[in-house]
Amino acid sequence: MVRYGMVIDLNRCIGCRSCAVICKIHNSLPPGTWWHRVETVGSREHHVSVGKFPDLSEVYLPVPCMHCDNPPCVKVCPVGATWKREDGVVLVDFERCIGCRYCMTACPYGVRQFNWEDKEKAIEKGFRTAGFDGEYVDGYRHGYPLDHRTKDGRLVYTPERPRGVVEKCTFCVQYIDQGLKPACVRGCPGNARIFGDLDDPNSEISKVLRDKAYIRLLEDVGTEPKVFYILPVRKKGRGIISYSTKLEVKR
Amino acid sequence: MSQFRMLVLCLVPLILAGSIAYYFQLTYGLTVTGMGREVSWGLYISNFTFLVGIAASAVILVLPYYLYSYREFRSLALLGEIVAICAIVMCMLFILVDLGRVDRVLNIIRYPSYTSVMFYDFIVLSTYLLLNIGVVTFILKGRSEIAKLLAVVSIPWAISIHTVTAFIYSGLVARSFWNTAILAPKFLASAFASGASMMIILGMITKKYTGLKIENEALLKLAEIGVFAMVCNLFLAGVEIFTSMYSANPEHVTHYLYLFFGIENYGNLTSMWWISVILGLAAVILLIIPTTRRDKVFLAISSTFILVSVWMDKGLLLIVPAYVPSPTGLIEEYTPTILEILISAGIWALGILLMAFAIRSVSRYKFVLYQR
Repeated sequence: MVRYGMVIDLNRCIGCRSCAVICKIHNSLPPGTWWHRVETVGSREHHVSVGKFPDLSEVYLPVPCMHCDNPPCVKVCPVGATWKREDGVVLVDFERCIGCRYCMTACPYGVRQFNWEDKEKAIEKGFRTAGFDGEYVDGYRHGYPLDHRTKDGRLVYTPERPRGVVEKCTFCVQYIDQGLKPACVRGCPGNARIFGDLDDPNSEISKVLRDKAYIRLLEDVGTEPKVFYILPVRKKGRGIISYSTKLEVKR
Repeated sequence: MSQFRMLVLCLVPLILAGSIAYYFQLTYGLTVTGMGREVSWGLYISNFTFLVGIAASAVILVLPYYLYSYREFRSLALLGEIVAICAIVMCMLFILVDLGRVDRVLNIIRYPSYTSVMFYDFIVLSTYLLLNIGVVTFILKGRSEIAKLLAVVSIPWAISIHTVTAFIYSGLVARSFWNTAILAPKFLASAFASGASMMIILGMITKKYTGLKIENEALLKLAEIGVFAMVCNLFLAGVEIFTSMYSANPEHVTHYLYLFFGIENYGNLTSMWWISVILGLAAVILLIIPTTRRDKVFLAISSTFILVSVWMDKGLLLIVPAYVPSPTGLIEEYTPTILEILISAGIWALGILLMAFAIRSVSRYKFVLYQR
């Protein structure tokens, strides 16, 4: 049985947020909706280091849906609109969700997103905020253009965004069902991500998880996430840049 | 009945305004509310929680009257059932306006999910509504034996609607603010406090404007029940605060710190929390002292205090802090928008209108109350 999971090597993450943007483009997310976010650990703002100079640290944490093995969001859905597929991917049925947002409340990772308004309205607003009069290219809509249904016919991806339903990261279900990796894995410039079958002992992801120490987010809440993080190690020697501890510029 | 006409004239514009606001929400989506990515439940669910308590608290009248034949509650028990019906109707409306896809609400029946507490809440609420409608109908038809049977059956359902509603919140591992076993008992305590206060106020109004006979003795008994429940409620709140603060479990402490003093620059619930505590304590003191309890004006004032205090405590002060800060430490505050407030006010107005109509027609009805 396939059981999909993802490893994110924080040693290789440069915090560029390309994953979030690629996700947004491929999954045709409207402005204001992010299935994937990247944070700087311990800091309110991204790319702001934590600590006291010169002992600074800046660790980036990409947060997609954890596709938990024990998903709290699935348990609470009153209509079974969100469920864990046989391959371990947690999906939302766009055609069944009633928009009660109980799953958003139940998710400890805050990755679930709600369609508060129409996609077209959001796009119009987005362009206006960005300072455009109309659209950048008239009528162009980014994203994978076709609907995607699971084998039992449930709508799990659509470029149209039905207002009033919850959506979230699907591990790019429209791609993995065609044997492709998720967009964020393929697009990471630091090559920080590994995606694959956790149940196959010979898969790349299983090998990496065997060899390396990893953590999962909020492990104590018992959700059994399937996104694994390899913690960053402070490098000694090669690659280290020794800064002067003085703050003033020499004249 | 000119006062009644005045009441209707006050309420109808509110209902109209609420309907227009809801039309806007239907047109533009829930973006017109103050809810967002981090705080995904707000004023609607707050009111829902409070009103489930009001509905459940009919039991404090039904139980003494039907089970122990406490005769003074004769007409109040009927009022309590009417209030329960109206409160459940309001609860359901608050859920409906909170849904993103209200057109799909029947999915709860078409695709029931047996692991979801919300599904069970739907079942107990509907059953409780039907039971109470049954009780009132049979009383008015003079079939007091069947009415009594249904009323007794409704007692465990009253307890269960509020317990299950508490389970909606307390069963979530993600929200440590709610994730405590004390939530269900605290819900019941605050429900009985607010329910008793509501019935005292309603009883006074009904007594003044209709022919329905309500003994002072009954109102005083209600005041005793109310203050006892309120003391329990404050005690349970204190127990939870002590456990959280002394153990200093950061997941629990942050939410209370947010409530007490605010975190960084965020703290738009702080004053509400302190007002709720002060009103609750003041009401308890006023109701414990016999002279102020027996005084009609003070009784009305302290009942109002309890109502307002519990509405805050079980409304925004219960729902919003659970999201602030989020489990991953993000802080986003919640302020309801005008449209959201209008819709909520509209539902309240509709519920009160329903109540007024029901009480008025019942008080004119030549019915036979259950007599042993």
